[in-house]
Order: sequence, then C-alpha cells, then structure tokens
Amino acid sequence: MKWLLLLLRLVLGGLFILAGVLKLHDPSKFALEISNYQLISTGTTAMAALLPAIEIVSGAALIVLPQAWRRAAALLILLMVMMFSVAVSSAYFRGINIDCGCFGGAASPITWLTLVRNAGLLLVSLFCVVFDRPAPRPFTASPSPFRA
Amino acid sequence: MFGLIARTGFLALLGVAAGLILNGVRPDGVALNGGPPAAACQLTTVAQPVERLTPAQANALCGNPNVLIADARSPESFAEGHVAGAVHLPCAAPGGVAQGIPGLLAGRSTVVVYGETTDEALAVADGLVRRNSNKGLRVAVLVGGFPAWQLAGFACASGPCPECAEDALIWPGPAGDHK
Repeated sequence: MKWLLLLLRLVLGGLFILAGVLKLHDPSKFALEISNYQLISTGTTAMAALLPAIEIVSGAALIVLPQAWRRAAALLILLMVMMFSVAVSSAYFRGINIDCGCFGGAASPITWLTLVRNAGLLLVSLFCVVFDRPAPRPFTASPSPFRA
Repeated sequence: MFGLIARTGFLALLGVAAGLILNGVRPDGVALNGGPPAAACQLTTVAQPVERLTPAQANALCGNPNVLIADARSPESFAEGHVAGAVHLPCAAPGGVAQGIPGLLAGRSTVVVYGETTDEALAVADGLVRRNSNKGLRVAVLVGGFPAWQLAGFACASGPCPECAEDALIWPGPAGDHK
C-alpha cells in the first residue's frame, strides 16, 4: 500500500505540475480555452493566471511535503479535478467541439476518453486523500492496577 | 478535519499568491479584471473571417481532396439532393458534431459550408471558426446556398454521406439520384 501510494502521488503530482507549467506558457490562450467552455463570461483571465500556479503548488506539495500537507494537496487536487470534470462533461454533452485546454497548448479535443481520464484522476486523488494518513498507533494497554 | 481544510485553503491561497506574483512579473501577463481575452476578439472578428464563394468559385474547388464541402441543411434536404461530393454536417445532432468534426476536418485545408441560404451557412461556418483548433483552416460559405448552386447548373448528387451513413439517426438512408 505504501509503495502504491507513493507511485500514485508521484504520478498525480507530476501530472499537475506538468499541466500547470504547460498552461503557464500562454495565459491568453488558456483564457480563451476557458471562455470556449461557455460556462463563465467574466473572470476567465484571472482564472487563467491563477489556476496553473495552484496546480503547480498542489502538485509539488503532493510530492515533497510531509503527510499532513500531502493530504491537503490531494484534497485540493480532488476539488480541482471535480471542477474540471464538470466543465469537460458539460462541453461534451452540450456538443461543444473545443480543445480540452487540459495541458495548455497541446491540442486535445474533448472526447469520452477525456471523461474517462478525469474519472481516473478523481479516483486517484480520492485514494490519496483517504489512504495517505498516519498509520494507527499500536494499542498499548495501561498497566492493570489488578496485576500482581 | 479542520486542520485538513485549513491546510487545503492555505495551499490554495499559496497558489493564488504565486499566480498573482508571476502574472504581475511576466511581460505577457493578462489583465485580471475579467474582460474577454484579446485572442477571442481576434479569433471571431479578425484572425479568420469566413470567406464567401460564388457557386462558380466553389465549383472550382470540387474534387480537391483537401477541400471539404459540408451541407449544413436538414438530413431530409440533404437526402433530397446535395452538392456532389458533399458531406452532411450533422448540426441537428450535437453529440455527432462534437465527435465528428475533428475527423471530418482532418487533413483538410478548406471547408466550404452551404445551407438553404447564405445566412444559414454563415452561422455554421462561424461556429466552425470559433471551435476548430486548426487555425490555418480556410472556412468559406457558398453565397446563395444550395438553390444558387442548382440554379448555376453545377453537379448535384445524392447517396449516403459516408460519415452520416454510420448513424441511422442522422442519416435516414440513401435516396435516389437527384439532378
């Protein structure tokens, strides 16, 4: 379990760092990709400026910080993936043919595979939130007053 | 639990602060006040206007494998008759558009959209320009629509569009030749 958790943390954290760095490359293009979803009319540029940094911070925290902070990073990633999944599903089911924008300039149209990938990321981040916790302390009974 | 939420909020704030600082420092940082991105304005109004082709100009493109002639009318109208070699762009099926357009446009340099009228085709062509990721794609409409094409006496045909034929809901089936 320990090694599986480490592997998932490295993959998930690395993926978020990569996604954040690629989005940082061209914030104007990323803002356009956000507005293409037709979900919000204002604040797309602010989102384009802030979201990549949040992704990088949470991805790095998931890899390098102590356990308590890693769980927080995993929870933050879980929330972001939930938000991404709502947006991507909305575009897919409304039939809006746009680039996902998930990895910056890498053009990737939204397909059912995008939804499956997001579902996988949801499961991995949930796994990290639930299982990346301190091992329970072994039970140590206090000395019995009745023991001779 | 409270500690977890507090740490999550702190990490989010740290990301926000980093994003603000980075955006402020970099020369190509964006304005945060929520206006539409500059690229969006360019994309819809300046970067790639929809061309208007007369039937004769459109006819000159027919047969070119890099050119896609797309019918934006209803499946019933398409079945009754269409420009020879055209495919039916399934505008009435949003799921089909999402999945089908990238495949239809792959390897094409030009797409000519026609409808019953010029305006009908323009609405679809504008959508193609906005949503297509291939920014080098030339998008044009047939002025006067299918009636102008027929009036000019250029080739009309019927028969199942390969893309539509796979979907019985979009494409009802082959019709007889129509000239």
